[in-house]
Amino acid sequence: MNGIFAVIFLLSCALFLFSNPDGFLPAMLSGGEKAATLALSLLAVYCVWLGFFKILEKSGLAEKITGHTMPAMRRLFRSNDREALSLAGGNLSANLLGLPGAPTPLGIKATKRFLESGNGYAADMLFVLNATSLQLLPTTVIALRLSAGSPSPADIFLPTLLSTLLSTLLGAVLVFMTHSAKRPLHTKRRPA
Amino acid sequence: MKWVALIIPVLFLAVFIYGLVRRVKLYDCFAEGVKEAVPLILSIFPYLAAMLILSSLFEMSGLARMLTNFLSPAFRALGIPPEISPLVLIKPFSGSGSTALLSELLSAYGPDSYIGRCACVAYGSSETVFYISAVYFAGLKKKRLFRPTLIALGANFLGVVAGCLLCRVM
Repeated sequence: MNGIFAVIFLLSCALFLFSNPDGFLPAMLSGGEKAATLALSLLAVYCVWLGFFKILEKSGLAEKITGHTMPAMRRLFRSNDREALSLAGGNLSANLLGLPGAPTPLGIKATKRFLESGNGYAADMLFVLNATSLQLLPTTVIALRLSAGSPSPADIFLPTLLSTLLSTLLGAVLVFMTHSAKRPLHTKRRPA
Repeated sequence: MKWVALIIPVLFLAVFIYGLVRRVKLYDCFAEGVKEAVPLILSIFPYLAAMLILSSLFEMSGLARMLTNFLSPAFRALGIPPEISPLVLIKPFSGSGSTALLSELLSAYGPDSYIGRCACVAYGSSETVFYISAVYFAGLKKKRLFRPTLIALGANFLGVVAGCLLCRVM
């Protein structure tokens, strides 16, 4: 990641130097500005969802919902950490439902817990599942199509679903393969 | 598609009522959850800022355009229309940038043209990989981040290729 950062940064910098040296600082500042406004709007979003999740958790509903999926989650993430797994489960369901902003706080917490227990595989898996788009209904796209005057805004639903399914599956398989080749013994199997 | 708008309010209503039944102090509990929001933002902010400054440089320096021109022939060979290659390239870096590009493409070519449909599928089936990796792995040893990021980028790209193909037949 540091490499990617350095390469893109240096190349862009060099381009600005030749084409438009005055534009360099404004470009960086506009990125900083975006970060500042995004952080504020994310704060607003996290306030809402973290409050909601706390009630979900305290009422025992979260436990009930994730209880059924626990065995599958345990296998998917090769982990026995109930709390991390239920966070990851919440993250995946929020992704599927397409709740804007909701998956992130859960995902961050789950990743932290996975990594604290040394389970890099689970953290990678969760990240790749998130970063290959799990959304069932592409709500943003449908809204944009609608506003562009499409007579059938939901028309792209099926191809989108299929291709996103493909990318998610492929990502998961790749994580599985790259990890299992290296560390066959790293899962702590629960005594049966 | 009207019922989609119902998901979120119904979800909140159901959970809050369940909480009441279970005698959860809704006000205290909600506030307790919100308390975690500020430290969370603070922990991801430095990486968010670095990533957004980088993507802004990437777009505004013309590097993105050069890379697009350079890669377009290869994209075309894989069945991705050259018109949407900027979208494919920007999407991993910037959500707002790619949303703007998508609506431009939709108004230029029409939402139900082949290009418009491809753009929609490309947008919907990929994710802002760099943003997610910045946020999820904030403050960690960056070295282990490379492989999952690469996997996500590759998988998304193949998803786009498949999506463009599907748009031809569906």
